[in-house]
Amino acid sequence: MTKLFRAFGVPLSTVILMFSSIWILGLIAAPQLIMIEQSLWRMERPEGAAEISVQIDGLYNQLDVMALDRSTAEAGTDATKRAADLAALDAKEAAINAEIAALEESESTPVKVYTLANFGQMGAAHLAIFAKTIAASLAVSAIALVVCYPIAYAVAKLETPRTAAVIMLALVIPYAINELLRIFAWQMILNQNGPANLLLGLVGLDPVPFLESGTGVFVAMVYAYILFMVFPLYNVLETLDGNQVEAARDLGASTWNIHRRVVIPHARPGIAVGCIMTFMLSAGSYAVPYIMTRGTAAPWFTQLIYNRFFEATNWNVGAAYALSLLAVCTVFIFGMMRLLKVSLKDIAK
Amino acid sequence: MTDQSTGKAIEFDRASVRFGQFQAVQPTDLRIEPGEFFSILGPSGCGKTTLLRLLSGFLDPTAGDVRIGGQSMVGIDPSIRPTALIFQNLALFPLMPIWENVAFGLEMRGWSRARRRDRAYELLATVALSDHAEKMPAQLSGGQKQRVAIARALAVEPSVLLLDEPLSALDLKLRQHMRAELKQIQARTGITFVYITHDQGEALTMSDRVAVMNRGRIMQVGSPDDIYDRPANAFVATFVGETNALAGKLASTAEGLALMETPLGGFRAANPKGLRAGDEAILFLRPEKLRLLAPGEATENHIPARVLRRDMEGAWSTLVVEAGGQELKLHLAHDGREAPPSGEIALGFSATEAMILPKGEMSDD
Amino acid sequence: MKPAGMGSTLVLRLYMGLFFAYMFLPLGVMVAAGVNSYSPPSITVWQGFTFRWFAEFWADARMWSGLVNSLVIAVAVMALALPMGLSGALLLSQLGRRSAGIAYTVMVSPLLTPGIIIGISTVIFWRNLGATAGLFTAILAQSAFIASYAMLMFMARLQRQDHTLEEAALDLGATRARAFRRITLPFLKPTIVTAAVIAFLQSFENYNTTIFSIGGNHTLVTEIGARMRFGISPMINAIGILFILVTVICAVVWSLLRQRERKREAAA
Repeated sequence: MTKLFRAFGVPLSTVILMFSSIWILGLIAAPQLIMIEQSLWRMERPEGAAEISVQIDGLYNQLDVMALDRSTAEAGTDATKRAADLAALDAKEAAINAEIAALEESESTPVKVYTLANFGQMGAAHLAIFAKTIAASLAVSAIALVVCYPIAYAVAKLETPRTAAVIMLALVIPYAINELLRIFAWQMILNQNGPANLLLGLVGLDPVPFLESGTGVFVAMVYAYILFMVFPLYNVLETLDGNQVEAARDLGASTWNIHRRVVIPHARPGIAVGCIMTFMLSAGSYAVPYIMTRGTAAPWFTQLIYNRFFEATNWNVGAAYALSLLAVCTVFIFGMMRLLKVSLKDIAK
Repeated sequence: MTDQSTGKAIEFDRASVRFGQFQAVQPTDLRIEPGEFFSILGPSGCGKTTLLRLLSGFLDPTAGDVRIGGQSMVGIDPSIRPTALIFQNLALFPLMPIWENVAFGLEMRGWSRARRRDRAYELLATVALSDHAEKMPAQLSGGQKQRVAIARALAVEPSVLLLDEPLSALDLKLRQHMRAELKQIQARTGITFVYITHDQGEALTMSDRVAVMNRGRIMQVGSPDDIYDRPANAFVATFVGETNALAGKLASTAEGLALMETPLGGFRAANPKGLRAGDEAILFLRPEKLRLLAPGEATENHIPARVLRRDMEGAWSTLVVEAGGQELKLHLAHDGREAPPSGEIALGFSATEAMILPKGEMSDD
Repeated sequence: MKPAGMGSTLVLRLYMGLFFAYMFLPLGVMVAAGVNSYSPPSITVWQGFTFRWFAEFWADARMWSGLVNSLVIAVAVMALALPMGLSGALLLSQLGRRSAGIAYTVMVSPLLTPGIIIGISTVIFWRNLGATAGLFTAILAQSAFIASYAMLMFMARLQRQDHTLEEAALDLGATRARAFRRITLPFLKPTIVTAAVIAFLQSFENYNTTIFSIGGNHTLVTEIGARMRFGISPMINAIGILFILVTVICAVVWSLLRQRERKREAAA
């Protein structure tokens, strides 16, 4: 901290610290912590609610009894005694009513209780969707890696730098075009009356309900996020010294062994970034399932989260669901980093 | 250039610097006179740049004091010290034209644009760069950039100019030219120059006095002649100039001279440190002080040797010989007529031209 | 590079061609449907060329209000995320190894967090403070992760800075603040421009974080998302064509600028 003030002087350092804390504390840490807190409590009827309702019932009984007393008192002949009796009854009745109101109030005001129950709200159905989301996201990552590795290698190492630049620029275009539009293109293609089914019809097959079966979500997801694998892979492979590959070949390595021993070890940070991005984007995607299913197929886990917040409006359960998703992504990130022996610095280049 | 700036004296008073566990500069006492051209010479990592940073103000001493013109500089920001620094890589601002570079210090002192522009042009004229004032640093050659850096430093009229190996990036010819130019500027301005270098040629040719540093300690301070002819210890003797070192033990002493037993035999040499008989010592013998003896010639110190090879250096040649299992070097004047010596030869040297110093760390260059 | 063999090169080329077809054909389908008179959007039934859907978009008030919201959010995000990212990068440059490691992890974490979670946590946080979700929360949620991109860009640039330049300025009498303004800031300028453009685009195009944080309001992109679900009008395709045009133009301009920049740097 003193180093900061030494380097930039007091006024500038103050501004730097101010903006940094707004960001780190106000926009990142505090919201995450509050979300965690939100997932850890729920409003519950207070303890002993049953006892209170017995008490309330007892008080209502007393009121009934007093109604009898009142009719007895009204039938009295002595005017002064009658007035005194009635006044006493009025006072007693008011007191009981007040007591009832207080008890009812405490009975119906729920209290904040810290509990892990929100996480347990996931029934078998939701748990299945959760698992399906994770499995499908892993599959998206795997497919993207297998499809993109040869592309990235071919562009980085086999093309001239000029051609490589043109190819990468061409790929920037679909990459930069809004995610929604790329997803929508597949909604059209896989539609009941779309070109995919038209082709199937031409070879004599029955139309397939891609969108309704959930296949569409998967296909569009691969398409939407595959380029997040190409660029990191290309970036690391571009820095691979071509002489290493030639040296390996010269020493008698087969193509497979060149990749296994030389290229892939060099590409580790790119593989880690590509897998983390595709997995994280897929698992956290709301746009793809939203647009592709039109509400007809079993939803993605993100849709459950959305529903908890904006339809069922149970924010505590919603926060718990969101936290579960975050936990899975965090585990995946650290798993990839451990597996590929890369650090956070390598990842965010 | 400027007449108004006059050099100030610099004093290190038990100043030391420690980085964690590493003692970069041992407690140092040193006085640099006003208007002196003072060099600090040493191998890389010896602490000379740290010493310079104490003066420029990017570092404060861990203990002790640093004074410029009698005033303590501890805690004084670089921006208000009466020093200007010429960086090793020159550190010209790449995004500013040359004249703005030169005028930067004046801009910081609140001069108006017109005034500082005029002043920058004036300064650039003195370093013969007026035609380049509107160019960007990247468009200049190495020597030109060098002169811009000097003009930029002089613009703030410092009392002390600090130079951190500024010539190291230049080629040999240009370096020699710039040495002369720096010396001239120093003479003209009267500013105190503190020049950091690991190049002894630079230190010896330009300086009034030189400090030789090693491992954070000043080994010797003296004129270039002192340093070369009268090294104070084994390190200075081996770091500055070439030398032959013969280890041995003192046999006897008499009147500033001593007889020393070495594997090559007994030799008489100067004993400036007053070592006593029985002390372990090293005999230092410059290659140019070692003579080739004519057959039968007698001398006080005689070394039989065998020629290994001859390295041609231009004006002289270096003869590498073997004597008593050790390699020795001597310089031969090169006249191009005599056939180079070969085979078994005899070498000699006079006792006053060799020096016996206590055993100690030697430079490994 | 010596080819591994003509056969395998040919296979790779073919594969690359297929990949490009896979990348671009779906976009072609969308473009074609955008100028087809048939509604709902289709290319299997061709009813003739039209610009009608562009006109429909032009006349759609909700799309326009979404566009205005998008622009407001994007500008605000730029104004917030850039100074935050720059401050973060400057802070990191001066922290010790350990604390810099922790701060760095926190600063890049939004990039590794699903966008919806950033949106949700922001909304929850501000509801606890009594604010309802709207443009304000969308701006904050987007800034949280867009500042991370800016921070990484500034950090990369700062690492390439020659620190002797700042020292030279101080030595010549500049205060720390002036050295920053006169030396460091000009050095950062190209990155500031790039980071501003990227922040704008990231904000403008964002869906996942925005839909979770904007409450009852909408941006152009969330509105497009809402219409897409039912795929009723080819107007969506017309908007898609406009997006593609803008993207292509931006990509070409960007690459030309970069080429020029590289040439200039090579000349210097």
